Amino acid sequence: MNKLYKLVMMISIGGCLATALTADQILKEVDLTAGRPQDQNMTLLLTVIDKRGYEQKLEIVMQQKGVNMRTGRFIAPAEKKGIAFLSLPDGVMYLYLPAYKKTRRIASHLKNTKFAGTDFTYEDMEAINYSAKWRPTLVSESESEWVLQLVPRDNSQSEYSKIILKVQRESYYPVSIDYYGQSGEQCKIMKREQIEKIDGYWIARRSELFDLRSGNRTIMEVKEVAYDTGLSSDLFTERYLER
Amino acid sequence: MKVFVFSAVAITVLLSGSVNGENNVMKWSGYLLADNRLEAKKELGFSWNEYRLNFIAEIKPVPPARLYSEIWLRSLGFPDIHTSRDLENRHKLRPIDLDLREAYLDLYGVFYENLDLRIGRQRIAWGTGDKINPTDNLNPLDLEDIWDFGRRLGSDAAKASLFMGSDRIYAVLIPMFTPSVLPSGDFDRQISSRISLPPGLILHNYSDRVILPENNLFAGSKAAAKYAGRFFDYDFSLSYCHGPDNMPIMNRVTVVPIDTLGAVDIAGELIYPNMHIIGCDLAGQIAGAGAWAELAVFLPEEVVLTTDLSAIGMGEQSNVVLKQEPYPKLLLGADYTFPLGLYLNLQYLRGFIYERGNDNLKNYVMLGSEWRSLNDRLKIMPIAGSLEFGDLDEFADTYAFVYAPEINYSPAQNAVLTAGLRVIHGADNSTFGILKDRDEVFFKVKCSF
Repeated sequence: MNKLYKLVMMISIGGCLATALTADQILKEVDLTAGRPQDQNMTLLLTVIDKRGYEQKLEIVMQQKGVNMRTGRFIAPAEKKGIAFLSLPDGVMYLYLPAYKKTRRIASHLKNTKFAGTDFTYEDMEAINYSAKWRPTLVSESESEWVLQLVPRDNSQSEYSKIILKVQRESYYPVSIDYYGQSGEQCKIMKREQIEKIDGYWIARRSELFDLRSGNRTIMEVKEVAYDTGLSSDLFTERYLER
Repeated sequence: MKVFVFSAVAITVLLSGSVNGENNVMKWSGYLLADNRLEAKKELGFSWNEYRLNFIAEIKPVPPARLYSEIWLRSLGFPDIHTSRDLENRHKLRPIDLDLREAYLDLYGVFYENLDLRIGRQRIAWGTGDKINPTDNLNPLDLEDIWDFGRRLGSDAAKASLFMGSDRIYAVLIPMFTPSVLPSGDFDRQISSRISLPPGLILHNYSDRVILPENNLFAGSKAAAKYAGRFFDYDFSLSYCHGPDNMPIMNRVTVVPIDTLGAVDIAGELIYPNMHIIGCDLAGQIAGAGAWAELAVFLPEEVVLTTDLSAIGMGEQSNVVLKQEPYPKLLLGADYTFPLGLYLNLQYLRGFIYERGNDNLKNYVMLGSEWRSLNDRLKIMPIAGSLEFGDLDEFADTYAFVYAPEINYSPAQNAVLTAGLRVIHGADNSTFGILKDRDEVFFKVKCSF
């Protein structure tokens, strides 16, 4: 009887611990999941579909090291080929324009503008550490997911007044993100699908971003992905951006 | 220079024997541009007719090396037909022009891990400004199309880039002199209009000859160095450049009478003065707006203009047209994206690209705007142009403005249609005022591949 009581108590305490994760802890786990690979190397296919059904396709090679160094380079379409961006810690971003042979620092006013005609903004393309930029509150939870509300921390800037993040319990992977503009209206919805574990890391093979203001949507598909290939930190410099 | 290029190519070939060919794939890209312009004040006569095939080829024969070349194949201008014999010449019917814009070899960390080398014909773009850069003085100006601001010729050069974290040091040597391309017709007109003749003399014909720097490493070469780094939240650089200016300046005028009524021919002589240029630039943001600045201080050699009037019995006169004293050129710029996606770009420039000497620098305020829609397929630039003025107390005599709105539409991916106009107004002796009879409507089609 005594043993049974102890077992019941342990299960109860364990259950309480599992559900008692704070919003901060959940968000840190989200960051850990995103930053768990030492580095990522992926080819992304973006399909932009406007409300009339007109489609544009873009292809980007994206590399990431940790959670806050990311670089992307267009390999298609021809008119954007070679354009590259570099995202560094503290929101520092650079854009390389091959036609001008120049690298430009992206000022914060540009970060809420559309990235290369997609529904993603430059801010969306940043490599981010959620915990560093956003203050979370646990809104609700279910057996399969947590719902977090994120608002910018006092020292960080964002085009969004808040974000609602649905986090899958199994993977700590955000499966849905609702974005709210500065005036409080919902402006975008991101749905992540085909969430798989590749080489031990979670990834959504397909994401769809709906821009509620324009009626457009952008589908992002991961064509190829490789983890922990030993990317050097040197790749995340202006030197490599201009190559 | 050729020795450098051949040596570098030889190194690449030797290295290529020892690695696999994964990177050894030639990549092709480019665009086709059709550019037609009509003069609005001259019964819509054609003023520009260009078909340009831009062709870029790129290969990485081995991981630490990259070969890059960019070629323009162009049909530029109009049929140059005067006689029936001309009709037999295809080149007079449809002038074709081939231009090797860039052709260089990159060597990444071959001699030292943090050292990159670029050898060959290359564009070396310095400065943080938008298309106008007072510190960008390495490549010769290409003013063939005066409305294509910022276009420059590639220079046959060697560039070394040393990287130390976020700090970078660049060293450049351009061994051979290449003069700037001048705008067709306009420069002659501007020079001859500024020659002041003694009372009673009338200009009949103007001609000139250009004296290039001697074709050797000492007289014609240009050398430069730059340090770039971060200062608080700003990117900044300091640079130095020495060598002959790529824009000519007149140093001798000979006046020859051709009749007894006062008509004279003028023969000019143009040289390329040496310059020391110290530059600095920075870029960052102020209250969320992009902000940049460039300052270049030019220290030229003195140029004395000798006017030979001995043929009309007035001897020779001399005056200094370029003093050996420093003169600064300054650019200040900012940009911001307002709600609803309206982008504004404002720049103030003191000293246009070919203005020299403290007494000749004018002020320019350039404003650009852009509003994008349909996922960037539609781009409208409703407010775009430039205001030029000299000293404020002489505004009425020195001002000019160019208003150049434009609209771009992409009917399909990789294709862009452009339509726009240029309205020019101003005083006769201003930089843009000289073009005031050349208001234009223009149409462009660009297809990338």
